[in-house]
Amino acid sequence: MIKTHNLSKIFTTEEVETTALHNINIHIQEGEFVSIMGPSGCGKSTLLNLIGLLDSPSGGEYYLLDEEVAGYTERRRAKLRKYNIGFIFQSFNLIDELTVFENAELPLLYQKISSAERKERVEEILDFLQIAHRRNHFPQQLSGGQQQRVAVARAIVGKPKIILADEPTGNLDSKNGEDVMNMLVDLNNSGTTIVMVTHSPSHADYGNRIINLFDGEVVTQSTNGGQAVADRSEVRL
Amino acid sequence: MLSNFLKLTWRNLAKHKTHSSITICGFAVGIAACLLISLFIRDELSYDRHTPDGERIYRFYVEYHYQGNVYWSTSFPSPFAQTILNEYPEIEKVGRLFPVPLFGAGDRFFRRADQNQNFFEEGFVWADQGLIDTLQIPIVQGDPRKALSDPRSIVISKKIADKYFPSEDPVGKLLVVNNNAEQPYRIGGVMADFPQNSHLQYNFFMSLAGTPFGQRETTRWTQSNHNTYALLKEGVDSVALQEKLKNVIRNHYKPAFEAEGSVVAKDIEEMVFIKMLPVRDIHLKSVGILEPGGQTRGDIRFVWLFGMAAVGIFLIACVNFINLSTAKSANRAKEVGLRKVVGSNRALLIQQFLGESLIISAFSFALAVVMAELFLPVFNHLLNKDLSLPWMTWQFPLLLLVAILVVGFLAGLFPAFYLSSFKPISVLRGSLSMGSRSGSIRSVLVVFQFSACILLIIGTIFVYRQQQYILSKPLGYDREQVVMIEGTNVLGQQIQSFKQELRKLSGVESVSISDYVPIAGGTRNGNGFWKEGRSTLDPAVNGQRWIIDEDYIQTMGMRLVEGRNFSVEIQSDRQAAIINRRMAEKLGLSNPVGSRITNGFAVNEVIGVVEDFNFDSLTSEIFPLCMNFGYASRIVNLRLVAGQHQQTLDSVQSVWAQFVPNQEFRYNFLDESYAAMYENVRRMLSILTWFSVLAIVIACLGLFALSAFMTEQRSKEISVRRVIGASFASILQMLSLSFLRLVFISFMIAVPFSWYLLENWLNTYEYRINLRWDVFIYAGMIACGVAILTVSYHAFRAAHRNPVHGLRSE
Repeated sequence: MIKTHNLSKIFTTEEVETTALHNINIHIQEGEFVSIMGPSGCGKSTLLNLIGLLDSPSGGEYYLLDEEVAGYTERRRAKLRKYNIGFIFQSFNLIDELTVFENAELPLLYQKISSAERKERVEEILDFLQIAHRRNHFPQQLSGGQQQRVAVARAIVGKPKIILADEPTGNLDSKNGEDVMNMLVDLNNSGTTIVMVTHSPSHADYGNRIINLFDGEVVTQSTNGGQAVADRSEVRL
Repeated sequence: MLSNFLKLTWRNLAKHKTHSSITICGFAVGIAACLLISLFIRDELSYDRHTPDGERIYRFYVEYHYQGNVYWSTSFPSPFAQTILNEYPEIEKVGRLFPVPLFGAGDRFFRRADQNQNFFEEGFVWADQGLIDTLQIPIVQGDPRKALSDPRSIVISKKIADKYFPSEDPVGKLLVVNNNAEQPYRIGGVMADFPQNSHLQYNFFMSLAGTPFGQRETTRWTQSNHNTYALLKEGVDSVALQEKLKNVIRNHYKPAFEAEGSVVAKDIEEMVFIKMLPVRDIHLKSVGILEPGGQTRGDIRFVWLFGMAAVGIFLIACVNFINLSTAKSANRAKEVGLRKVVGSNRALLIQQFLGESLIISAFSFALAVVMAELFLPVFNHLLNKDLSLPWMTWQFPLLLLVAILVVGFLAGLFPAFYLSSFKPISVLRGSLSMGSRSGSIRSVLVVFQFSACILLIIGTIFVYRQQQYILSKPLGYDREQVVMIEGTNVLGQQIQSFKQELRKLSGVESVSISDYVPIAGGTRNGNGFWKEGRSTLDPAVNGQRWIIDEDYIQTMGMRLVEGRNFSVEIQSDRQAAIINRRMAEKLGLSNPVGSRITNGFAVNEVIGVVEDFNFDSLTSEIFPLCMNFGYASRIVNLRLVAGQHQQTLDSVQSVWAQFVPNQEFRYNFLDESYAAMYENVRRMLSILTWFSVLAIVIACLGLFALSAFMTEQRSKEISVRRVIGASFASILQMLSLSFLRLVFISFMIAVPFSWYLLENWLNTYEYRINLRWDVFIYAGMIACGVAILTVSYHAFRAAHRNPVHGLRSE
């Protein structure tokens, strides 16, 4: 589902070149829950942004859903993103001027889904995430945990194949953090591929594989808790 | 600390080159425009300020109320001046000016009595010694107390004296005017040249002493030709004096009109009012007063319009400055936060930002002065003036310095307080939601700018259309291919043979002798007309009496709708008249041909009627016209065969040289003179166009800044939307729509306002276009187009960036 070959990213500012990622080779199968770990500045978020098509790589190959997308224009990347990928951020990134309902509805608007269906699907998700009672509130009126629920609602409402989460629990207390992790596990169990960047070893353990990054390179990849990747995909089939 | 500020300011300017140059250039353009406009206003307000005791000197004028209309005139009967001096002790001195071209004012040929060559000069006028005394016109040679006292004396300007009497004393020398060698003028004095900002512009004062126009003219109250000035005694209440002048109407005008059996005598006290205008207001407040010399006056409304434009452009420029400064706030926010963290207080920061804006203000003023100097020639050309920046006065550099400080301070105040208010914690955390507080102010400013723009666009379009309409309107005569040879009165008796010679030329279709040409500047008069025998019973029909020859109608391409033309063979045609339709209508002649009309002196039989034609500016309606047979010899008109003008004119000139070898050959094309009548419309149009362009450019700069600001402010939102799947189009649409809403509001404000202003302006024209909705729509579309183009630059950039940029605020 996600496969990179010698993927790299170099940031250039006036005179200085910084290599953020160097020859990254990873392979993520459909239905996996992968955690990416590493110290600050090792390139975790950069990698996630490349995987999520939010940024373009400086070199290497990137196959998403068996398509080579590294050289795609922003227009084509946007289209792929819209139908396949949902994002969850550490700082939630909700739009302050929109209500809970409107924030969650946004992806469906851009997918040109009819108003009746939008309403139905958003309500269903908000119910599922137990945030429906705050549907007419604005983000600033919510707690951090509630805001992240809205962000999760927004990420999954378009039924994406992949969810990318960038330290989704980083701004939350442990109780709310646990809740969010459980939601991700539930989503994974229903078949969604999840890639998550985290600092927290305990949260990383929710995934079935951990990729460790250091100074822009993959150092180790380990499978977690005996759940073989192949097994899961066979189960799904 | 100061060097730190300066270094930072400089680096900030240098770092954002585009932004800095937009800020400084935009500001400079606005200031330059203000400078130029201020020069114009300063010049307009300076008129006649140099006159000594100017606050006590007045020019009289008459206000006529007639058939619901009001007319103004500065013409008074000859005895008016002496009479008020005798009867009103408030008046210290009086003076008269007689500027009527028919009697010899205007352009003339003259020569020194001891030479043969004639020269053509402008600025002849009749005046009396009282005028020199009243206006205290400086006499540089000769006796100021009696330079014009003697009959047939003349006062010439310094310029003329230097030209024709170099290194000689001209006083006492003789001048021959219009080849009239029997009655030369003796130079009684030389006066200083009138400054350019004087309402009087003359080179020759011919004395009114004696009886230059006949004995009767000097005592008659029913004939008005004299402009009259008075110097009041100190402390006199001019309003009270003006009220008392009603007695002049009662005691002098009324009996005189009664004695001539005129029907106006009865109501004259309700119809005619004598008023006084301070000499210093003549230039700007004589709108609507017909000046016999045809001089152009200013218009106080124009000064106001320009003043408002200057203030408006200046405000727009300041607004832009503020917009552009706050637009960069995100970049500065971090600096502010850090400075606060390391111990700066708010006052210090405010000082820093004010200092920056003072530096930018100084840069902008320097650039503005350069721009103003560069554009001064263009501006002078537009206004037909000769203005310059007054570097030589001590006030101007001082004023610039003060303006730099004040403008820099005022424009920097808002950004300074705004930028320095950022809280260090929120700035450094990156969770600052910027500018939402000041967003509404900014929107109001943009609406203000765009309303002004749309107003100017609409105004420019309609002024242009009105001008085209006037210039292409059928006039009732054919102004193409007609050449007017001027000053042909010097031919004297030879004029008929001159006409015969010209007729023989192959390129000439027809030739007519008449100085009553149908454009402004042609000879004009005012007469009352009646049906025969009704002159003491009916009110007069006011009209013109023109003298034309038998070829005039053909040469001018006019159309005879009834009856016949004048004929040299028919002796009785000397007492006949051809009238225009309007005259027939106003007199109520159902069968005009064969009817008899009178102007109170002679009775004429009407032999023909011409189609109405415009002979004055199209701002006025067509007047009733009576044309009599004769030879008014100042102008000879030629209708030329198309396509060989230059050749024909060369042969005409050689014929002229045979007849009068010492005279300059002067001619004008009728169509060009016609276009010159609308010179002020053209001038207004070009000024309006310039202001429109300027306002649009400045408003676009403002919008550019605002869109930069708003996209910056919304960059996180834009990125989030992009991440979720928004297309370019939808981002572009989202950003443009919020601006288009502002443009739409501006449009709704500008339309009724411009409709009202244009209706009023167009109503000053007798022949006018109608306002059309579609033009308003076009103007709105232009404004929208410009707005979209300006905004889409930033929107496009925002929509094309990798979405991760907006999210990486931590």
